[in-house]
Amino acid sequence: MADGNALAEATLKVIRDRRSIREYTDEPVSDADLDLILEAARQAPSGENAQPWRFVIVRDPAARRSLGALAGGGSGRRFTSEFVTKKMQERFASLEDEAKKKAAFEKLTSGQVSAFLASAPLNIVVCGKKDVWDMPYDTSAAIENMLLMVTALGLGACWVIAPCIDIRDEERVKTLFGIPEGFKAVSIISVGHPTRPHRPRPRLDLKELVFREKWGTAYYRDEA
Amino acid sequence: MNDKQIPLSYANGLIHDLEKAFWDERGKGARFRTTSVGRDYFRERCLPRIQADDTDGILAAVREALQQDGVVGEVTYTREDRLLRVRIQGCVHRPVEDQLIAKGVEPFTCIPANLIALAIEDKLDQPVELAEIKVEGGACQLLMVVFEARPTLE
Repeated sequence: MADGNALAEATLKVIRDRRSIREYTDEPVSDADLDLILEAARQAPSGENAQPWRFVIVRDPAARRSLGALAGGGSGRRFTSEFVTKKMQERFASLEDEAKKKAAFEKLTSGQVSAFLASAPLNIVVCGKKDVWDMPYDTSAAIENMLLMVTALGLGACWVIAPCIDIRDEERVKTLFGIPEGFKAVSIISVGHPTRPHRPRPRLDLKELVFREKWGTAYYRDEA
Repeated sequence: MNDKQIPLSYANGLIHDLEKAFWDERGKGARFRTTSVGRDYFRERCLPRIQADDTDGILAAVREALQQDGVVGEVTYTREDRLLRVRIQGCVHRPVEDQLIAKGVEPFTCIPANLIALAIEDKLDQPVELAEIKVEGGACQLLMVVFEARPTLE
């Protein structure tokens, strides 16, 4: 049992230590590390064991710049829309520091929040075969496995959907990397060595998330 | 060939069902997966009419195609910096939005909006985003954002 607990604790530590890293040093990701990251992806659960995931490894600076432009453009459009409809202001209403709020709005509406793909030393384009039942779920599981392996290796990564979420942008990504019609460009995973440690992001309390037997009945109860 | 026309309510009912199914699957993300709906119509019916290389001329050509095909009635718009506000009255697809709203779903797809975006992107190479669809006073009010330039890929 002691060994089991140690493994569980180590696993939970990796899960808890994962961050979305958007700033990297120039140090490249080694081939040995990349092999482990891809092996983690390959071992993900898959409906009917279809294994619909495919990966395009992108280290070329020009291709990375193109990805950054597509990601930044897509994010910028969507967040600007959220801003002009005032929904972004509603979302940030609880943030009282006006300077921080303004900086956040600028980072989001300009697309900077996703354009960093250009400066990541390595981007992995995750593709999914369409002719299977569970492609979105399978590829998402593969992505999470990669993120956890990245964390375990002391690297940093970010799961970026920005250049794939709008079909107009996804078409450009597919053209850029020659992805065939039978596959979807699902997401980009940037990987590199983080420039600095990052604090954890707040998480909702389990009390808010879990129900007992039926929706609405709290599983975790306040202690008397 | 059977050229009997199908009832509009049947077609709109199917469009609603498809949009609702898509919403149930993708939630707010559904909007971004429908931005190219209408592209073939745009290429066949709108693009050949567009001779102008300014927003007014482009919008006039799209409006003309839609009105001639009986898709919309009145289309008016205003520009304020990068914001493009379009008011569409008499759209044959309006019942789709009504059915979605009745089920608590904010309308997220508009074919005329897609055609306008495709036209501006095609002729001016300026990205366009549909920010909002509001159904007010018997008309659809679209809020669109027209961006100055597409981020360069090189």
